[in-house]
Amino acid sequence: MKNAAKKVYLILILILLYAPIATLMILSFNKSRTRAKWGGFTLEWYRSLLENEQIMNAFYTTLLIALLSALAATLIGTLACIGMQAMSKRARNILMATANIPMVNPEIVTAVSLMLIFIALRVGLGFQTILLSHITFNIPYVILSVMPKMRQTSRSTYEAALDLGASPVYAFFRIVFPDILPGVISGFLLSFTMSLDDFVITHFTKGPGIDTLSTKIYTEVRKGIKPEIYALSTLLFVSVLLLLILVNYSPEETETAAKQAQKKPGRWKIFVLRRFVPAVMALVLISGGIYYGSRGKIGGQNTLVVYNWGEYMDPAVLELFEKETGIRVVYEEFETNEIMYPKVQTGAIAYDLVCPSDYMIQRMIENDLLAEINFDHIPNLKNIGSTYLEKSREFDPDNKYSVPYCWGTVGILYNKTMVDEPVDSWGILWDETYADSILMQDSVRDAFAVALCYLGYSLNSTDLDELTAAKNLLIRQKPLVQAYVVDQVRDKMIGNEAALGVIYSGEAIYTQRENPDLEYVIPKEGSNIWIDSWVIPKNARHKESAEAFINFLCRPDIALMNFDYITYSTPNTAARELIEDDEIRNSPIAFPDDEALRNCTTFHYLGDEMDGVYNELWNQVKSK
Amino acid sequence: MKRRRLLAGPYLFWSVSFIIIPLFLIVCYGLTKADGGFTLENAAHITTPENLKALGLSLLLAFLCTLICLVLAYPLAMILSQSSISQSSFIVLIFILPMWMNFLLRTLAWQTLLEKNGVINTFLSFLHLPQINIINTPYAIVLGMVYDFLPFMVLPIYNVLIKLDKDMINAARDLGANSAQTFVKIILPQSIPGVISGITMVFVPAMTTFVISDLLGGGKVLLIGNVIEQTFKQGSNWHLGSGLSLVLMIFVIASMGIVNKYDKGQSGGSF
Repeated sequence: MKNAAKKVYLILILILLYAPIATLMILSFNKSRTRAKWGGFTLEWYRSLLENEQIMNAFYTTLLIALLSALAATLIGTLACIGMQAMSKRARNILMATANIPMVNPEIVTAVSLMLIFIALRVGLGFQTILLSHITFNIPYVILSVMPKMRQTSRSTYEAALDLGASPVYAFFRIVFPDILPGVISGFLLSFTMSLDDFVITHFTKGPGIDTLSTKIYTEVRKGIKPEIYALSTLLFVSVLLLLILVNYSPEETETAAKQAQKKPGRWKIFVLRRFVPAVMALVLISGGIYYGSRGKIGGQNTLVVYNWGEYMDPAVLELFEKETGIRVVYEEFETNEIMYPKVQTGAIAYDLVCPSDYMIQRMIENDLLAEINFDHIPNLKNIGSTYLEKSREFDPDNKYSVPYCWGTVGILYNKTMVDEPVDSWGILWDETYADSILMQDSVRDAFAVALCYLGYSLNSTDLDELTAAKNLLIRQKPLVQAYVVDQVRDKMIGNEAALGVIYSGEAIYTQRENPDLEYVIPKEGSNIWIDSWVIPKNARHKESAEAFINFLCRPDIALMNFDYITYSTPNTAARELIEDDEIRNSPIAFPDDEALRNCTTFHYLGDEMDGVYNELWNQVKSK
Repeated sequence: MKRRRLLAGPYLFWSVSFIIIPLFLIVCYGLTKADGGFTLENAAHITTPENLKALGLSLLLAFLCTLICLVLAYPLAMILSQSSISQSSFIVLIFILPMWMNFLLRTLAWQTLLEKNGVINTFLSFLHLPQINIINTPYAIVLGMVYDFLPFMVLPIYNVLIKLDKDMINAARDLGANSAQTFVKIILPQSIPGVISGITMVFVPAMTTFVISDLLGGGKVLLIGNVIEQTFKQGSNWHLGSGLSLVLMIFVIASMGIVNKYDKGQSGGSF
């Protein structure tokens, strides 16, 4: 009876632990690209995974960093525990407190502090900085696993060994080490898995052209997780599981009963643990070393360092450019303008080409971070519609610093089966009929833009009374809101989770394709129109290559490739003419007429102080 | 004895260069204004009603999560520690194994499970049971935290329990103690170091998380981690963010200090 209860308990916990994993595994066989819909069984993602060099590279980097950092941390941490044991209680407590700091610290603070020190020491951000950071946050896990073991070791046995003539080292390895070994192993495993799982710290300490799985996944959240990632996770999980089964249930053991197994581990086990595993590890390391050694350095003359939004360019475009010009592109992605800005500002990495949004470009111009573009090198600029260059003057007054790449509006996406009345005003987001079925954007400026437009104010308002009114309106809306989200509006709307959502026009085209019940509208009170443009930072090392790349991107056929891939509206009128599908070429979502855009304005950079005010008010909304 | 202390040398070097000095940089940022002058304003910002509320909520959720983890993990660790040796390492690895799937992915998977039309609700309506609607509430966040951090509670406790001197337990039984008495007088006191490690490993990340509250709280629940993350990410205000982190750090260290008070008398006795 008691045993049965124990079993039931174990099984319940296992269900809790493995339910999400089963979900992810099932998603890896899902034909539909969105997680919100089951589109039938397929093995397609497993095939395309092997061809996806980006994901495989990220995977390899992740493994290598996890292995190296766990090894180093285990060594340093275990030595530290032994050393600390010999110290006075006070010294030990101080050191233990230091060990706790990375665990006590919010991850993001540790991450920023590490980034600051690397920049201060002029260590180039890249593989080595990720590795150093991972070792730093892994050591405490080792210490916290080993220390409790260390406290339980018996001093008298150790002293007896010394009395009997053993050297301290010999006595340590014969007496103490076997006792603390389980702690050391669990410390190593914890470190390895923590490193595998880390996102925040890697994100701040990585350089261009290098990604771990976490940072890759995070950039993909914007456009939805690629099913290949699910496939890879499933493969990784299953292979680890198989390895464990191999180690634990060797054939010999099952044949000769448990008795013998307890006396000495089976030959199989010894083989796997002592030969196979280390051999595989060594192989991974050596091949990795060769692989990284063979890759060129970023500093070369014929390279171009591009910093773009996640999922914001067709990979085939990059390949084509490299083939045509022989210039190697180091491509890196960011998730928000605010993450991109400090990286460019500190000059830690010399980017050649960045793709920020309107208000951020204005901020960069004001802070003298951008170089003037030499338009003699960009004859293809003629393909960009004059409307968009005109709109660009709102943030780049003389069209000197930027070339438009993508643009769009912010509007309401609604589900025709759930909303019967016509939607034409922001006001519907305050309608109590749709309580708990409204999705709002989880970013300060977008959320305030909705409220300010509804009130008839400018979305660039700096008037405190207007902002307070908008804040109160947002607070009044909060009980009706199902969730404040950024990227997940798309999946949630496709999955019929909500009736109304505030969304970018580019996403609307994709969601309609997946769920025909959805409709997009720009409310009559006006909205935000945004433009993401290419700019060249002042400290760029390859300005001419950057201009060649901008020119390449303005070519109609290339712009069309990108439009098909990103589905965000292109300012390239020549490319728009090439779109074969009438419905898309004339889509009011992708290419709204001037009438619909009349009330739309771009965001302006309002200064650090005003940014602070906005954030303050937004916090008040969020914490209500 | 003396020479052995030197073994902590590499760690000491490491922690000074990658923990202490970077932390010092944060302190510098936290106590200065953008123009470089000294100020306490950034740190004092924690006292605004919104930030206090976020801090209180984080504390409450982290406390709940730690408690639930402890209640779930202790019996689990005991069951695991009693199983036969050849099985045990396997079972322990089963608890680490989920972490081999990326944590962002696993938390996203809970969304798919918990949503209004999600897997669990579809299953429940199939059985004609009432639906659960906890997505986008603090309950979902606690669930996510417990899910993500449970292994960090199980492993330290387990590690201590398997090292317990079986003779002592048997002696207690021989001397007439029943299982409850043996547990309270023998097993529990000796397992305290593991419990303390576990609490530290769960409470701290739960207190400072922002990803879990983002993904499962629907952005409606603001924790102190979210406030700091927003200040850094959306506001790009490193001075204010550092000031707030400074306060949070002091706060967490203080609570850990209280926990560690109960750890007295356990530190001697080793080799």
